[in-house]
Amino acid sequence: MSRRAGDATSRLVPEPPGPGRQRPYRFPQVVREVMPRGQGQARGQVVAAHLPGQPLAVATLLLGASASHEPTGREGLASVLARALEEGTAARDAAAYALALEGLGAELFTVVDWDSFRVGVEAPVERLPAAVELLAEAARTPRLDPADVTRVRDDEVTSLRMWWAEPGPRADAALRADLFGADQRHGRPVHGDPASVAAVSADEVAAYHQAWLTRPGALLVAGDLDRLDLDALGGAAFAGTSAQPAGADGPAATTARPARRILLVDRPGSVQSTLRLGHTAPPRAHPDYVAMSLAGTVLGGAFTSRLNHLIREVRGYTYGIRADFAHSRRFGAFTVRTAVHTEVTAPALARGVGENIRTDAAGVTEAELEVARSFRAGQLSVDMQTPGAIARALTTLVIHGLPDDYHATLRNHLLNATVEEVSAAAATHLRPDRLTLVVEGDAAAIRGQLAVTGLGDLADATV
Amino acid sequence: MPSPSGPGSLTGFPWPVESARLGNGLWVIVSEDHTAPVVAVNLWYDVGSRHEPTGQTGFAHLFEHLMFEGSLHVPKAEHMRLIQGSGGSLNATTNPDRTNYFETVPAEHLELALWLEADRMGALVPALTQETLDNQREVVKNERRQRYDNVPYGDAWLRLLALLYPPGHPYHHATIGSMADLDAADLDTFKAFHTTWYAPNNAVLTVVGDTDAATVFALAERYFAGLAPNPDLPPPPSGSDGDASATGEVAAPTEREARETVVAEVEAPRVYLATRTAPFGSVAYDAVTLLATVLGSGRGSRLYQRLADGARLAQPDSVAAYSVDLAHAPAPLLLTATTRPGVTAEALEAGLAELVDELAAGNPAVAVTAAELDRAKALLTTGWWQQVATVGGRADILGQYATQLGDPARAGEQLPAWLAVTTDQVAEAAAAVLQPHDRVTLTYLPAAKEAAA
Repeated sequence: MSRRAGDATSRLVPEPPGPGRQRPYRFPQVVREVMPRGQGQARGQVVAAHLPGQPLAVATLLLGASASHEPTGREGLASVLARALEEGTAARDAAAYALALEGLGAELFTVVDWDSFRVGVEAPVERLPAAVELLAEAARTPRLDPADVTRVRDDEVTSLRMWWAEPGPRADAALRADLFGADQRHGRPVHGDPASVAAVSADEVAAYHQAWLTRPGALLVAGDLDRLDLDALGGAAFAGTSAQPAGADGPAATTARPARRILLVDRPGSVQSTLRLGHTAPPRAHPDYVAMSLAGTVLGGAFTSRLNHLIREVRGYTYGIRADFAHSRRFGAFTVRTAVHTEVTAPALARGVGENIRTDAAGVTEAELEVARSFRAGQLSVDMQTPGAIARALTTLVIHGLPDDYHATLRNHLLNATVEEVSAAAATHLRPDRLTLVVEGDAAAIRGQLAVTGLGDLADATV
Repeated sequence: MPSPSGPGSLTGFPWPVESARLGNGLWVIVSEDHTAPVVAVNLWYDVGSRHEPTGQTGFAHLFEHLMFEGSLHVPKAEHMRLIQGSGGSLNATTNPDRTNYFETVPAEHLELALWLEADRMGALVPALTQETLDNQREVVKNERRQRYDNVPYGDAWLRLLALLYPPGHPYHHATIGSMADLDAADLDTFKAFHTTWYAPNNAVLTVVGDTDAATVFALAERYFAGLAPNPDLPPPPSGSDGDASATGEVAAPTEREARETVVAEVEAPRVYLATRTAPFGSVAYDAVTLLATVLGSGRGSRLYQRLADGARLAQPDSVAAYSVDLAHAPAPLLLTATTRPGVTAEALEAGLAELVDELAAGNPAVAVTAAELDRAKALLTTGWWQQVATVGGRADILGQYATQLGDPARAGEQLPAWLAVTTDQVAEAAAAVLQPHDRVTLTYLPAAKEAAA
C-alpha cells in the first residue's frame, strides 16, 4: 500500500474552480382557468404547470376542509375523513376501488394541514384523466358507511398510539400546547391525539364531508399540458359541487409566554433526549417573511448552520439539529428540533439556547448570509424537478394567493437580502427569553441536570 | 426531454448515456438533460459493510462521515459550505454492498463539485485527525441511537440480517455497526481504509443534467486523471457469490429456518417473515420484485386485502412486503404486519404464514392472477418514473447498474424487464423463495406494563 501512502503520488488541483455561466431561473409556465365557464354553477379553479416531456403527472384537489375547522374535542376529524374516502364509493366497493386506481399505477394521497385538505394522484400522464375521475369519485361520492367509518376511526386511533410511542410526537404536542394554548385548535396536534380521534363519530365524519368536500375547491395539475385536457380534468373534479361562502379567517391571536421555561416529558429508558425549543412567530403574509426565513437558515436551516456546526460537528451531541420558522395563513412558530445523547441533555440545551441568544443579539455575518442566500435560491431549482414538487409549489401559490411569478420573485428577494435586514429580522422575531424548552427523555436520568441549568423553571408536561 | 416510449422501443431510460474510462480506471458516465438548470454528481465506491472484517463493524459507514470532514485542499466544514453555498444539496449513504456520495447543484457549479470529489478521493488521508474521528464517532453513535436503539422495532433490520445470513457471511452484520467496534476504531485503520478502497479504479463517477458529455469528460480528466489507482484491490470478501447473479437462477433454499422472539417496549405485536431470494440484477430477482409488489404494495395487495381488510388481523398501515436490492448474495425479501388491538402475535403469524404457504405450495386456485400482476406492473412503472424524475435519482441508478451489473445501459432495461415478467415466473419465484423450511420469523411482543397505581 506504500504506493498511495499519504497520497504522495496523486496529482490534485489545489485551488477550487470558480462558477461557470449561470443559467436563467425559470419556474414552469403556469396556466389558470376558472371552470366551468358557464353561468350559475359552482366555479372551481384549475391551476396547472406545464412540464413538457415529463412522463408522470400529478393532480391535487385542494379543499378548505383543513384541521383548523375541526370542532373542539374532535381534533383529527378531517384525518379520519381522509382515510375513509377509500372505503368504497357510490360506484364501487373498497376492494374494487383499490384495484381500479392501482391498476392505473396510482395511489390516493391525502394531506390535512392547518390551511387545506388535499387529495391527489400521481400517474403516467396518459393515465392521469382516469386517475382524476377516480380521485373525484372518492372525494365527492364516498360511501361513508357508518360501520366502515367507525372501523377506520379505530384504525386511526391505533395508528396514532403507535406514532405516539415514538420519540417526538409527545414533545411536539407539549410544545404546541404551551405556545398556543391547549384550548385553541392550533394549540392541539394537527392530526389530533388518540383521545380526540376516539371521540369522532361516523355522523360527524359524514357532516364534515357534506360541509366541505362538496365545495369545488381548486385542482392543481403538474405535467405535460400538451398531453392533458384541463377542461376535462376540471370537469371531472368539480362535477356535482356547489358553492358556499368561505368563512373569514384572520390571523390567530397569540401571546408569547412571559418567560423561558423547561417542560419535561417522561420517556423511561430513553437513550436519547428529544429536544424541541420554540416560540410563536407571525403568519406567512408578514412582510419580514424572507428575512426571517434567512435568519432561520443561518441559525439552523442547513448543515452549515450555527446550531448544527456547534451541536453536531464540534460537540458530537447529536446526529443532527435543525431549526426553522414555519408559517400557516393564521399563525407561525419558530422551532429547533434535535435528539441528543441522554447524558449531554443539559449542555446541549444550554448551547442551543446560547446560539439563539447570540443570533438574536448580534445578528448574522455576511459570510454566513452569503451561504444562506445561495443555498435557499439554489434549492428552488434543485428541489423542484418533479411533478410532485411542482404541484406542491402550486399549492403554495393558491393557499397564499401568490402570483405566477412568485418563485422567481422570491429567488430575487433571497439573493438581495442584506445583513442589516436579516439581522433586524433575527432581533425582532427570535425571542430566546420566551422559548419553551421541551425535553422528552428518561426523567429519572435527566431531571437533576435540568433543574440546575439556570435556563428557566422546570415543569412536567401533561401529555 | 425525449418521449419515454415509442412503438417497439420501450425503455425506462429515454436519455442519452455516454461513458469513458480514465487511464487510472475511473469509470465516467454522463447523461445529458437540459430540462432543469441543475446537475447531479454521483460517486459509487464499490466498498460497503460486506468488506468489514470481524471487530470492525460500522467502519465503512463511519468512514463515509469522515469524507465530509475535509481533505488536503479542503478545510473542515468547507465541503458542506461550498456545496450549500452554491445552492446545492448533498449526502451519502452506506449499505452492505457499497458507499455512494452525491450532490445536486445549480449547473454552473459542476466543476466545483468535481473538484471537491477529486480532492477527497485523492487526498483524504492527510486531513484525517484524531479529533475528527472522535467527533464523528460520537455523531455516528447518536445516529445509531436515533435510528435503531431509541425507536420501537428499530432494531428489526439488524436482527433480520443476523438471522438470514450466517456468522461470517458478509451480510450477517448490519452496516451501522456495534457500539463496541465503533469505540475501538483507531485512526490508522481509517487511513488504510481510504488507501485501499477509495481508488479511482474502485469507483464510478456519474454526472447527469444540464451539461454535455464532452465537457464532463474533459473536467474528469482535469480533476481525476492525476489520482493514482490501487493495482492491488483486494478480492471480494468470502461468503459472497457475486458471480451467481449472472446465472439468473433463484438461489436454492438453504434449509435455514430460524426464528426469534423479542420482548421490547413496543405498543403491539409485530411479525416479520423474511427469506433469501436471488441477487439484484438477476431475472429471478425481477420476478421476486413483482412478487413483493403483488404481496405488499398498496390497498389492492394480498397482505392488505387478506390481513388488513379481510381477516382484520393487521393494522392497515402496518402491512408491507419488499425486497432489498443487494447484489452480492441472494437478496432478502421481507413481509411484515402489526396486530390490530385484541389480535395475538400467533394469530397474525398464522395469517401471514397461510398466505405465503399457499403460494409456496403452488396451489393453482390461489396462484397470482394476470390482474394482480398488471396492478403490480402499473405501480412499479409509476415508481420507476418517480425514481428517474430527478437528475440525482437518475445518476444514482446509472452508478448502481454500472457498478453492480457492469453496464449503465442496463438501467434502461429494468422497467421492460419488470413488464415482461409472467404469472408463471412469479409462481416459480414464490415456490422457490417462500418455502417454510427456508424462512426467518421475527416477532416483537410488548413488554408487560406495570399495573397503574
